[in-house]
Parts: sequence; C-alpha cells; structure tokens
Amino acid sequence: MLILVTLLSACSEASQSASNQPADKKHIHFLYNFSTRSLDPHVDSSYVPLRAGITETLVKLDEEQLKVVPWLAETWEGEDGVHWTINLREGITFHNGRAMDGAAVKASLERAMTENVAIRNALNIGQIAADGNQLQITTTRPFPEFISELVNPNVSIIDVTEEDFNQRITGTGPFKLTSFAPGSKLELARYDAYWDGASKLDSVTFSFNEDANARTLALQSGQVDIVYRPEVESLEVLRAQAGIEVEATSTFRVHQMTMNMERASMQDVRVRRAVDALINRQEIVDTILLGYGEAAKGPFLPSLPFAPSFEPGPSGEAAAVQYLNEAGYTLQDGVMQKNGEPLQLVLLTYSARADLPLIAQVFQSDAKRIGMAVEIRQIDTPEDYMASNRDWDLATYSNLTAPRGDAGYYLNATYHPDGALNFSGAEQPELTAIIDKLNQTVGADERAMLAEQAASYVHEQMINSFILHPSTIVAYNKDKVKNWVTTRSEYYMITNELDILD
Amino acid sequence: MLRLISRKFLEVALFLLFITFISFLFIRLAPGDPALTILNVDELSVSQEQIEALREEMGFNEPLIVQYGQWLFRFVQLDFGKSYATGEPAFELIAASLPATLELTLGSLAVMLILTLPLASLSALYRESWLDKLSRSLSVIGAAVPSFWLGLILIDLFAVQLGWLPTMGRGGFLSMILPSLTLGLAISSLYLRLLRASLLDSLGEEFIVSARARGIPEWRIFWSYAFRHSLPPVITVFGVSLGSLIGGVVVIEVLFAYPGIGKLIVDSIRQRDYPVIQGYILIMAITVFAVNTGVDLLNRYLKPELRLKGGGMQE
Repeated sequence: MLILVTLLSACSEASQSASNQPADKKHIHFLYNFSTRSLDPHVDSSYVPLRAGITETLVKLDEEQLKVVPWLAETWEGEDGVHWTINLREGITFHNGRAMDGAAVKASLERAMTENVAIRNALNIGQIAADGNQLQITTTRPFPEFISELVNPNVSIIDVTEEDFNQRITGTGPFKLTSFAPGSKLELARYDAYWDGASKLDSVTFSFNEDANARTLALQSGQVDIVYRPEVESLEVLRAQAGIEVEATSTFRVHQMTMNMERASMQDVRVRRAVDALINRQEIVDTILLGYGEAAKGPFLPSLPFAPSFEPGPSGEAAAVQYLNEAGYTLQDGVMQKNGEPLQLVLLTYSARADLPLIAQVFQSDAKRIGMAVEIRQIDTPEDYMASNRDWDLATYSNLTAPRGDAGYYLNATYHPDGALNFSGAEQPELTAIIDKLNQTVGADERAMLAEQAASYVHEQMINSFILHPSTIVAYNKDKVKNWVTTRSEYYMITNELDILD
Repeated sequence: MLRLISRKFLEVALFLLFITFISFLFIRLAPGDPALTILNVDELSVSQEQIEALREEMGFNEPLIVQYGQWLFRFVQLDFGKSYATGEPAFELIAASLPATLELTLGSLAVMLILTLPLASLSALYRESWLDKLSRSLSVIGAAVPSFWLGLILIDLFAVQLGWLPTMGRGGFLSMILPSLTLGLAISSLYLRLLRASLLDSLGEEFIVSARARGIPEWRIFWSYAFRHSLPPVITVFGVSLGSLIGGVVVIEVLFAYPGIGKLIVDSIRQRDYPVIQGYILIMAITVFAVNTGVDLLNRYLKPELRLKGGGMQE
C-alpha cells in the first residue's frame, strides 16, 4: 500500500496537469447522467449531439414562453396542415464550412426518416422539395403539429456527405467535435463561424457517468464543473459546500396514477375520484422527492399555454370516503365494501423510476386507513405489461406530456383508442372527437383550446390522476460557471451563451 | 491428431449451437418488446397498427425456431445484425467495448496477484501468527464489503480528498488505478483464502515431509514443491473468475464510467437490443470455452498425473 501511495503521489502532478487546460483557455467540463456509444443524431435516443451543442434543429423550444420558435429555420407556413414552406436562415455553415442550404437540410431529413422508423412515423412527410434556402414539405395527412415535431433532436440537421455518423458528426452548433470516446466522453472545440455568435469558451468536455454518487463526488473533487442530476440525498451537503450552486426546474414529465377502466370497480367515476382524492401530492413531493418536484394539477405543467386551470376538487380521506359512499361502498369492520365485496385494488409499479414504488407504498398506506386494500405488484416493463395484461386496477407511470411544446403527442398516445400508451383503455367518443379535431387544427391558439378541453375532460372523468412533475436537478461550480440554464425540455445544455466567470 | 481436432471442433460447434439456442429462447421469452423501444413510444406518438407493422417487418411475429434459424443463417455469414438502439453493427459495438474490460480485468488481476501471493504464502508459512490472523481478517472483510461501496470510498479518498486520481472515465494508466484497485481488492479476498488453504494442504503432504528428511532447504521446498502443488485448484477457480471478469463487472464499470462490455450488455438488455445481446452471449461462450481450455492445459502442465489420465477437459 505504501508503494502504491508513493506511486500515486508521483503520478498526481502529471494527473493535475493532464486534466487541466492551459490557464488562458476557457474550458468547462460537463458531466451527464446517460452515456452513449453512438453520436448518430438521427438514430440514438441519448440526444447527446444536440445537448452538447454540436447539432441544431430547424426549430426549438423557447424555455421561457414554452412555445416553438425559429432556430435554423427563420419562418414557416402551413395553413392547411399539409403543405409546409420552411425558410432557412441565410449564411449558416456546417463545421466543415459547407453551406446549410435547402438541399443539405432535405438530405438530412431524408436520412433521419430512412434510418429511424420512429421518426418516419412521427414526421409523416410525403415529399420534400428544396430550392435555395427554402423547403417545400408535403405531409401524408393533415398534420398540424408537424413544426413542433421538428424540435425532436432526432431531426437534427447534419451534413450527410460526411461519413461514419456514429463516431464523427458535422453539425451547425456552437461547438464542433474534436474527439469521441464511446461510452465515456466527447471533447468539443468552439466553432468560430457559428451563426448566432461564437462561444466565449474555447472548449468543453462532455462526459458521462450513470452513477449519481460518483457524479456528486466528481463535482466535489473539482474535476468537473457542471453535474446533471447529482444524487438527491447528497444535495444538502452540496448546498452547504461553498462555491456550489444547486438548481432545480420542473420538467415536462408527469408521474401519474393510471386507472384501468376495464376493471369493474374502476368503471365507476366516483371510485376513480376517491383514488384521486387519496393522493396527497404535496406530501409525496416533500417526502419522496425531498421537495424537488411540483404537485401536478393536470397532465401539463401549469406554465404551458394549453394547461387548463382546474378548480381544486375535494381531497383527503374524508372526501375519498364520501366519493366511495356515493358509489355504494360502506365501511364495515374496517373494510370498505359494497354488497359484501371488499374494495381491493391491484396497483402496478416498477423500479426503473425509483420514486414510483415509494409513491405506490404511500398510496397503499393511505388507502388502508379508509379500509381500501391495495396490493402492490412490481413489474419490469410497464408498457409491455400494461398493454398485454389487464389484471390490474391502478398503475404508477411516468410520462412526458409535452416534450416538444405541443399536447398532440401525449393526448394521442394516452387517450386516443388507437394510442400506444392508452393503458387506461379510454374509449370515450367525446374525448376521441376532441383529439381528432386537434389533429386537424393548425392554429396554435385553437390547438391550445382543444388541448385544454381534452385535459379538462380527462380530469372530469378522472381517466388518469396526476401526481407530480419531477424536477431536473443540476449542480455546478458557481465560482466558475456563468450563464448555465437548467431547461425544462432537457434538450439544450451546452450553448454559445455558456461562459466562465473572469 | 486430425481426428482429435475434428472431434474438438464438433464439440465446440455443438456447444455454441446449444448455448445460442437456449439464450435466444430465454431472451425472446423475457418480458419487453423491442418494437416499443425502436418506435420510441415514450416520446413519439405511435399507433397500435404501427407497432404491429414493425413487429411484422422485424420478424418478431415469426415462430421462435424460424427467428433462430434466420439469426443462425446470418451468423454463419458472420453477420451479427445491427443494434436496434444505435444502428451500429452489433459486432463492432461488442468489439469496441472489449478492450476497456480487458484493461480492467488485467489491472484487477495485477492488484489481486500483488496482494494475494505474498500474503497467502506468509499466512501459510507462519500459520496462526499475527500475520496469518491479519490476512484472514482482511479476506473476511474483503468478502463482506460491497465493491460499489469500496469504490465510492476510494473515489472519496484518492480523488476528492487527496486529488490524486481521476474520479472516472477511461484515459490511460491513472484512470485505471481506482477501478482496478476496487475490483482487485474484492476478488483478492477469495484467492487469499483459497491459496492459503491449498498451500496448507500441500505443506502437509507426505512428499514434503520426505523432502525435508532429505535435507532440501525450506525455501526450495516451499517454492518448488508446495507452491506448485497448490496451484491447480486455484487456477481452476481462476478460470471461472476470469470468465466473469471479462463478462463484465457491471457495478464497477458504471461507478467509474468505464465503457466496458458489462455496461454495454446491461444497456442492451434494458433496451431489448437482441442482436447485441445475442452477439455478446456467443462471444462470451467462446471466451469462457477458451479460458477453460487454457486452464485445463495449465493444470496438466503443473500436475503431470492429469496428463496420464486423459479424457475430459476438467478433471
């Protein structure tokens, strides 16, 4: 051990000099919580090239206004929802100097659709024509949310004339890739000709570590400057440490209680309301998420333009009991029952999101107090299980509700009878009609109104119950890092605004 | 000779056929639908028809035996298929991850040897001394401490407090030290006990007593007779360890963000990335087979009586 320590001491100097950049160079080391082995932005779902500021999309989400705004595209039109005209910004070049024009964008979009069947389905593009800096795109069906789908990082615009997309990638972002160690890290250098103003940073290291403890220690050791999702239990320690800032922002994700309306007891809306009334949202946020979340009022973050403002309904044990009484249940010998049959519910949960089993346990304990028996069943793959097995009543589930600033994805996937995530078995003609109308409507205001209507219907019929919006937590060295923004979308991380303090 | 080689070749082929078929069966029967992953249902609007169409297109609706036959047909043309998650050839993904794991395996074995050989030898030579008690205590503690916890302690000490070593990543000798130390310490506890017990057995053998009677120096008795005689059981277990080490020590790879094959396979299982999982199983089966053959040959070299018996791979 002594030999080892001596050896390490000898090495330490070399280590320091190797990890530090020259003093006059501005460098930031960012540590992300998922790794990737491929940089192909059209295929890989880690979205690292966009997050690292290498690639950009035609449009992006404005994190303050929470709406789609121009990025590589300057303007667009598509009143009929089928024929779209997109005008690109002038003078943008890829990192290799080639112009980002209509032909380059067309080739990039076509590659994304060829390589990725999910993108091909999501974009519904029939034809693309390029002329100078203008694109004419025809969708295969009226598709009003087409522009918001272009926010997807899998639709990043890259120069497809380059080769080896898994290891090298040529985008238009503020940073160009200098090296990539699959599964480990990317080294980035400033792209001087960046169209929106070159970064003040000279270089960035974007590395990965999936262990939350190790990420926290990496920040504490000073080897990294910004850490995405540090370990929640260590946040108080980090907050107490001088020079470290901890930021939390609610995301577009919602943890929800999915109700299986195909089960006899759950077909009664009053039982579903009783379940909803039993969920103590703020307590769950405070105890399970240690305050790093926002109690949900509906599926969408309240700040989104299409989030309805619900009147808070009665909640708590008394309200739950009252709903159940109205449904014909009575509490006898400590058991909530109807016609001699006890109210027993099966609640599914899964460990991939560590807070969901804890939420299930809190619910089980609260339900027990009013004589409702809840059996928790742990499953591996919720999508698979819920779709093929209907022997459950409730399920904790986590869902992105407006990942690209539009409600279309969530409403179609979760409440349309044909939706892939319609686990509650919702088949309500009125709701389906609203969603179908939304799918034909182009104007943002009208879409927002329809999305609100759909969310209100879901709330009124209590098809699902919404628990909380978990936060994204980022910790960074506040004595060094300047202009870091923790975004709700989790898409935009390394930007040209990021800087270090003088 | 030719007959022996062709028999061995047939054995390997049957073994691989069996392993790949069983693994194929288990992977396909396990819960999880790759179509949902490929279509990214968590983020993109997908209809049931689109899911069904993809299942049909990818051949997931075919009977299992047909799917296996198709895989085997592609495999004999050395085509492992492409990863559903990244679109990269599965073989390239596996091959790219192997060097990191091999590096870590060698590093941890080096740590294990440096610790185990002197400690176990001294322990056996000076039985019931304080040194023996210390080494036994260390091996018990080593077996009881979870390796991820040990790793975190080492990171905290050497990276956070002392600032000597990188906390994570793969980048040369320095970045190898902490993961190798964590893993090496964890496996040392097993070999410390095993080698000590084996040495004690050897030292009690009759040929050692007669060697002493012949006046051969004690150091020569230990190294040339007892040590060599105690190695075969250790090497046999070592073969198994080597297989599991190369198979990937997932916790350590995740903790130190070391992009090895263990991490790759966990990701692949989570994403139901069948081509990568299947390719991995095949390559690991070949590796374990090769390691076991190597161990068998080494044992035969160290224990000549095994050579006379002949027969199976492992006595």
